[in-house]
Amino acid sequence: MSDQTTTTRETVAEPARGSDELLKETLKRCSSGTLGAALEFRRTGDVSLVPKIVLGIIERSVEPDLVDQLRNGGDSIRFIEDLQIDSIDMIETVMMVEEAMGISIKNEELIELRTIGDMNTFIHEKISGMGTSKKTQFFPFEEVAAILPHQNPFLFLHEATLDDRSATGKYKISGDEDFLEGHFKGNPVFPASLMLEALGQLAVFLLLKKPLDELGRERVDAADVYFTGADGVRCYKICKPGDTLELSVSLKRVRDPIAVFSGQVHVNGEKTALVDEVTLAFRLEGSEKKINGENGAAEISGLNGN
Amino acid sequence: MERNRVYVSGVGIISSIGNDRESVLQSLRSLQHGFSSYQPFEDDDLAEVQFVGLVKEFDVESSDYEDWSFPSPYKIRRETLRGLGPHGVYCYCAMQQAIQDCHLTEEEISNPDTGIYTSSAGSPMMLTYNVNRMRRLGPMRCSPTGIVSSISGTLSFNLVANFKIQGSSCGFSSACASSGHALGYAFDDIAQGRQKRMFVVAGEDANYESILPFAGMRALSLEGDPERASCPFDTARNGFVSAGGGIALVLESEDEVNRRGVEPYAEFIGWGQASDGHNVAISHPEGYGLARAMKLAVANSEIDAGEIDYINAHATSTIIGDSSEGKAIIDVFDSQGLKPKISSTKAITGHGLSLASALEAAIVSLSIQAGITPGSAHIRNLDPIFEPLNIIRETESESPSVAMSNSSGFGGANVSLVFRRP
Repeated sequence: MSDQTTTTRETVAEPARGSDELLKETLKRCSSGTLGAALEFRRTGDVSLVPKIVLGIIERSVEPDLVDQLRNGGDSIRFIEDLQIDSIDMIETVMMVEEAMGISIKNEELIELRTIGDMNTFIHEKISGMGTSKKTQFFPFEEVAAILPHQNPFLFLHEATLDDRSATGKYKISGDEDFLEGHFKGNPVFPASLMLEALGQLAVFLLLKKPLDELGRERVDAADVYFTGADGVRCYKICKPGDTLELSVSLKRVRDPIAVFSGQVHVNGEKTALVDEVTLAFRLEGSEKKINGENGAAEISGLNGN
Repeated sequence: MERNRVYVSGVGIISSIGNDRESVLQSLRSLQHGFSSYQPFEDDDLAEVQFVGLVKEFDVESSDYEDWSFPSPYKIRRETLRGLGPHGVYCYCAMQQAIQDCHLTEEEISNPDTGIYTSSAGSPMMLTYNVNRMRRLGPMRCSPTGIVSSISGTLSFNLVANFKIQGSSCGFSSACASSGHALGYAFDDIAQGRQKRMFVVAGEDANYESILPFAGMRALSLEGDPERASCPFDTARNGFVSAGGGIALVLESEDEVNRRGVEPYAEFIGWGQASDGHNVAISHPEGYGLARAMKLAVANSEIDAGEIDYINAHATSTIIGDSSEGKAIIDVFDSQGLKPKISSTKAITGHGLSLASALEAAIVSLSIQAGITPGSAHIRNLDPIFEPLNIIRETESESPSVAMSNSSGFGGANVSLVFRRP
């Protein structure tokens, strides 16, 4: 009946990624306390709010008669066996947790989360970057794209996994890249110079995401990181559309404003390119230091700018 | 080859003119239409469409299943609901209604001899919502049931899984002839002994995204008077009123009907189909394909055309479509001196697109059992081209003995079904 219809369609004014409005929409069926805690967490990053938010999110997928068990059962309550949450509920729960916490949970990681306690510990570690039980952190394309200053059509990193001082990443050559039309005529080959660029982007990603003791754990400014040099470059294999570049970089040394990484590219496990040193110049957030100025220039060799 | 006789033994209707047998029959007797205004069109200055054949007592407007409501006798579990599109809710309820109507047990529903054919255009609203969300937030923030609730196989996926169907299952997509094809092939499966029982389920959303594109085709009437907005065969007809809903029919072999001791509504005695090969959206002006579909249906039913005493016309209230069908009926019947009664129940139901043929098969079946022949409503000035036809303006209190139901879809797909008093 026309008078009963409620216009809740989302064709106009859709809340943007990462906005409070999206968080409110995502958690609209959770209690106001849960939403309040999630908004507070977003402002303060206070990890002590995690259990409250997680419990509130899970509660909405649970049949009413099981809510008490959830609330009183503690960390050992199991999602499937105790709460009868199925795999689709679990995915919906995870999407809400991801939005509330600003994190991404991989399918592989999801399988290991069997209890409320698993979920709380996992999120706690993911947020604090401690990784006591899991050392690496995975970032899907959307997070990579959100963090790196590089964007399409010059983003050559589709996902990244970070360790404390090293990183791996992937880039699949789609064949749709414009430059392949001219490199070369009738024979699309991924340019070796862009393999270097991809390694550089992975190194930038590590630098932006990982606080380093050498830099007093201060953040690198994403608006000011540049590729300044590459030494000892060897290419072994031609890469074609359909190939996935398996990238890895390892931090060799870092001192404000210069970081030096070694890098490797593999395709299907086969050695494709090696770089002894990829050098990046950067500026720390809030620092007045000019990276092309007197302090840095002496140490920057080779290519300049990006 | 000896073929099995096929009966319509169960009917479930969620429609613009009622959500149960009694209210639908009441609307057919009084020729009361089921049209009303629709708030999203009223809110949109660019949407000039005035009326929609909305389903009452359901609210499935939102893209979020947790906002939906439906009448309390129906039970749909949360894990089922999240895989459905809006018309999936109508159809799920229609299915429950049909099952209850002909007293099927769980074992009779779930076995290798019982199948289901469905037709729907999918849910453009759910598809739009999911694709927009994916573009905005990435695929990993989209519902895992986004595909099964959106795309055009949605009815089959959900009903087969939830009702544990083990026999044939397939979706039919020939626009407004879709559920006619579904019924025809379900008939064949039983007649040829492949299945003992077939569900045929058809549905459409009826919301902004599903209806308004037809305004872009200039296929919808923009009239502000509901009796002018849908007036098949009238000189003033200028487009159809779109309708949503869900229909479930249960077809069973003679052996099953006898074994179970059910009183069928009607015998489904045959069908025919033929294509115009003419235009992507407009029917052949002489009704060429539809005339052949009707002739083939008569032959397939092993009757003489003269035995047909009622035709439930496809006539949607468009200028060309109604005229094509009129010419086809004149060719097959009136030019042979035959005068079957004719009406278009779309005058009161609106045009249900993929569900139209199933809705009209249900209307014909209910009418045969209830002893009525539905009239053609909203005719003030009969278009002279239909003068030779015996179009009845009021509902008559006598059931047809053999009834034909026509459907035509985009691309010139035509289906004609024949039912007989059991």
